[in-house]
Amino acid sequence: MTATTPTTTPLAAPTLGTPSSAPARLLKSEFLKIRTTNVWWLFLIGAFVFTALSLWIWMGTGAGQINNAAAASSEPFVPPEGLSPVEVETARQQWELEHSLTRTLVSVAANVYTSGQFFGLMFAMLLGAILVTNEYFHQTATATFLATPHRTAVIVAKLATAVLAAGFFWIFSTAISVAAGVMFFNAKGYGPQLDQWPVQRAILFNGLAYALWGVLGVGLGVLIRNQIGAVLTGAISYVLGTQIVQGIAFLISVWLDATWPLKIMVAWPAVASSVMISPEKLYPEAPAWWVGGLVLVAYGVVFGVVGTLIMRKRDIS
Amino acid sequence: MAEGQIVVSGLTKHYRKVRAVDNLSFAVEPGRVTGFLGPNGAGKTTTLRMILNLVTPTAGTATISGHRYADLEQPVRHVGAVLEASSAHKGRTGRNHLRVVAAAAGFPAARVDEVLALVGLTPAAKRKFKGYSLGMRQRLGIAAALLGDPRVLILDEPANGLDPEGIRWMRDLLKHLAAQGRTILVSSHLLSEMELMADDIVIIAAGKLIKQGPVGTVVDSMAHSTRVKVRTPEPDKLIAELGTAVNAQRSDDGLLYVTGVEAPAVGAAALRASVELHELVTERPDLEEVFLELTAGKAAIR
Repeated sequence: MTATTPTTTPLAAPTLGTPSSAPARLLKSEFLKIRTTNVWWLFLIGAFVFTALSLWIWMGTGAGQINNAAAASSEPFVPPEGLSPVEVETARQQWELEHSLTRTLVSVAANVYTSGQFFGLMFAMLLGAILVTNEYFHQTATATFLATPHRTAVIVAKLATAVLAAGFFWIFSTAISVAAGVMFFNAKGYGPQLDQWPVQRAILFNGLAYALWGVLGVGLGVLIRNQIGAVLTGAISYVLGTQIVQGIAFLISVWLDATWPLKIMVAWPAVASSVMISPEKLYPEAPAWWVGGLVLVAYGVVFGVVGTLIMRKRDIS
Repeated sequence: MAEGQIVVSGLTKHYRKVRAVDNLSFAVEPGRVTGFLGPNGAGKTTTLRMILNLVTPTAGTATISGHRYADLEQPVRHVGAVLEASSAHKGRTGRNHLRVVAAAAGFPAARVDEVLALVGLTPAAKRKFKGYSLGMRQRLGIAAALLGDPRVLILDEPANGLDPEGIRWMRDLLKHLAAQGRTILVSSHLLSEMELMADDIVIIAAGKLIKQGPVGTVVDSMAHSTRVKVRTPEPDKLIAELGTAVNAQRSDDGLLYVTGVEAPAVGAAALRASVELHELVTERPDLEEVFLELTAGKAAIR
């Protein structure tokens, strides 16, 4: 490394250009941050692997469900003996659900076209978290806030970047799923089901879920500055936490002989996003899909606002 | 309010139990290199970070050209800063790090290449940051600070990690920038370096202002510590001749240190007493001695 001694005017005629609008500059800077490091394509490979894996699973189980429904659609419903009229009605609905070819096709299509969702949402969240924690982990927060002292603008740009990056992951995963799914239905001799509203809703709300998980991730990153801490907390509470919440809710409902613990389970974000996307009720006691959507939006707003307020106050040292 | 002037007024920062910065006021003038000195933990970094809106003051204000940093129209075009605990993503190249900053400020990539050339980092531009030496990292920080061609430069311990050649390069660069009329505020604990570089100094200790002014004035204000070094084979005769108004101290290596009298008077006394002189030197305090005297007892860990 040799030193260059400035002999002439060192800052003569700097090429500074004319600046674009502040939001455009910030978004460009945030996307450069993502593009110039490795995380995004590692996550993209992960998203691809999990999409392919879950396509394989959903197509396997879906093929079985479609075959059963097609074979059984001609059989009549025979109510089991010794049931009250209400219970008979419930059983009939369940039977119809399983033996209606139309509804089975829709249900399978919704699953296939949202393949890779479970881990895709996690990647969207972790990417959002890393967008924030990187600034502390690599001590770039100083440079970022020197360039833009308006911290609200910075965090809003990060939220927007997280939403757009999550949207990119959604498009990536959906493109693979739809391409494979159309071939799957075609091979089984059925239409692609893309004209069905529950299927469209599943795909669109899957996109909304990606966006909201991106926002949750940014909030998580603000609350837990430590990179490893935020990533581990996010991943563990997403994967294990959901199992634990479901287990506990189930145990309490059995213990109290009540269904409300299963209903309020929707308050857990991962359950909420599953409830929102599922074309049929995720489980019999689940609330309507829009409840899941509202819960997730509420988390997004709270995390976004709290994250912004904390970021505005925090000393960067 | 002069363009490019930094004014710190009553700046205070309390952490839980420590007054990191305590009612600190000083001004930094454009066209000069101002050294910001203080023992470790004196509050230098906290002060610089408060000027730059990175740390919120408990009380007081800091303005640059009359505006708070956050209110500057285009801060990067007005102020450049090299701070400690500021770094780049380990997996990002130096050039990409600058591109990220340039994008946020709205500068084209061409400007990035200009500042890379300016700090001599062009050959390492596409190397990842984790492969940079301490000196290269410091140069990258200076490059980032210069991106916006700022009229005010704030540097926190910029000499850290630079080799002697690098330090000299930085000194020349900062003096050159000051000569162009820019404001240069640079914190350091390398006092000999500061003496070579700074026009003005601000000395703080324990979060409080100790002394501020041109280097020469500050050093001269401590002139009472000027002493005369004498080497003679007959010190007792000389002391007797000098009289009681003069304070003379003998050192172990046979030297005599005289205070309270100028060198010519010592020479005259030696002539009167017919004492041989082998050495007669006036010792003025340097910045380091002045600094140590001014901050004595205030550098304790708080």
